[in-house]
Amino acid sequence: MLFSRTFYLTEVKRQLRNPYTLAFTLAMPIAMYLLFGANAAYADSSAGHGNVAFYVMCSMAAFGAATAMSSMCSIAASEVGQGWGRQIAMTPLSIAGYAIVKLTTALSFSALSTTAVFLVGGLTGAKADDAWRWAAVAGLILAGGLIFGLFGLGVGLAFNSDSAAALASISITFFGFFGNVFMPLEGVMLDIAHFTPMYGYVALVRWPITEGVLVSGGSDELWVVLLNVLIWTALFAALTRFGVLRSRRRR
Amino acid sequence: MHTQSTPATEQLAPSDQAIEITGLTRGFGSGERRVQAVDGVDLSVRRGEIVALLGPNGAGKTTTIDMLLGLSSPDGGTVRVLGQSPRQAVASGRLSALLQTGGLLSDLTVAETVDVIAGFHSASARVPEVMERTGLTSIAKRKVSKCSGGEQQRIKFALALLPDPDVLVLDEPTTGMDVVARRNFWQAMAEEAGAGRTIVFATHYLEEAEQFAQRTLVMNRGKIVADGATAELRSSLGGRTVTATLPAPIDQSTVGAILDELKRAGLLAGVQASDMQIDSAGVMRVRTAHSDALAAKLLALGAHDLEIVAPTLETAFTTLTQDAGE
Repeated sequence: MLFSRTFYLTEVKRQLRNPYTLAFTLAMPIAMYLLFGANAAYADSSAGHGNVAFYVMCSMAAFGAATAMSSMCSIAASEVGQGWGRQIAMTPLSIAGYAIVKLTTALSFSALSTTAVFLVGGLTGAKADDAWRWAAVAGLILAGGLIFGLFGLGVGLAFNSDSAAALASISITFFGFFGNVFMPLEGVMLDIAHFTPMYGYVALVRWPITEGVLVSGGSDELWVVLLNVLIWTALFAALTRFGVLRSRRRR
Repeated sequence: MHTQSTPATEQLAPSDQAIEITGLTRGFGSGERRVQAVDGVDLSVRRGEIVALLGPNGAGKTTTIDMLLGLSSPDGGTVRVLGQSPRQAVASGRLSALLQTGGLLSDLTVAETVDVIAGFHSASARVPEVMERTGLTSIAKRKVSKCSGGEQQRIKFALALLPDPDVLVLDEPTTGMDVVARRNFWQAMAEEAGAGRTIVFATHYLEEAEQFAQRTLVMNRGKIVADGATAELRSSLGGRTVTATLPAPIDQSTVGAILDELKRAGLLAGVQASDMQIDSAGVMRVRTAHSDALAAKLLALGAHDLEIVAPTLETAFTTLTQDAGE
């Protein structure tokens, strides 16, 4: 069996009543957007093919999606390593089926988070030149969010369940600060930012608006952004592989 | 002392076998620290049989059960359940288990937990019936984290019953239950057994094996050291223990005279040195098949405070696992 509707709906219900999930994947991105985007003095200035409010909206939605993906995937990996995984192993649901349901849940939450931030953005003056730019940004957020799903999976497998969830969420916040996600970085900080995991992802998400132009001046080449995404995907895949080996040894 | 009286399983057609294990081995670790957790287990269980698996901690019970369920793979040997591989039997819902190390999600309610697992088995229609039979209906809305240990065992029992399995494996099912909960659990279990299921359960409560299993296996150090009808296993350990205080004075010559008298009457025939003790207070303890005759003679010789005790499975168990260790 590869999918169970009851399991999926129960997982969604679990997340909806989890205060941590609601705070970090819904409330926080919206609040940060309102603070730094909609209510900023420069909200309506141009950021390329959209205004600054739209630019901030993209960043916060991307952060919300990355948080949802990493925390839910790390929890999924922790749970399967504990007794619940053995319980599920006594049913026709395969491990692939388990992964599909958990990934669908995480993607559903990323989509929910993105929709909520975009909805608030649309209502509070975030503007882009064309409608397709909204769709393109949303698509990039959801697809790129998978990288952080991989990260969460690796952390969940490599570390024990207590530390994994905390580690995944703290790391994501760090990645956000040093990845030029929240406030525009300059100088040395910006140089360092190019090498951090969320820089490529969020730069790619903003590409339909900025086409690589940076708020603090200058611009990025597309290959730099893509290379960052590729390298970090490879590194997170290696972490996941290490986690798989380690969790196997633990058994 | 090893009663390998496998109840005539070999002659039966394969379709009558619920479980067939041959030459099963499994070790952990490597080099000098390698531990052979399961060391050559052979076992056949007929359909409808109720079998208890006894053994001290670390005997290899849980490792054997894990391989029986296909949760881990053996280093050597084969496992067939109802003619299928364990994984196939699990996937088709014919084999299910209450796992000792199985865990529940603490933030789900009882009903949600049962519903999720029922969804995997496409057995949602059985949920109300199973919840009723396992006594979960009244706590359906309770969070798993708010359930007592015994209640959590009942949830796991319900999960194991959902696929309506032919073979049910229970690993220490009554852990965390009080006396009343344990009695209720075995009552529910007896009803399931009446429905013709094959049941294998591991336990460290010997009376559970005595009361519930027709057949008992004793495992120690990765091997099955005894396998037989539970009642037989108990009696195979040779008679009862007779305890009596010998008449005063307790000195070498008096005690020696009494022993000579007993030997002459043939009452110590077949009694090993390890089966007989006399302490300095003159209390004599003898394990013998002729307890009545020995008791009568001892009383005739002036002994007092006489007691005769039948062996429990506990003594059988201790004897077997100690023998195997030497």
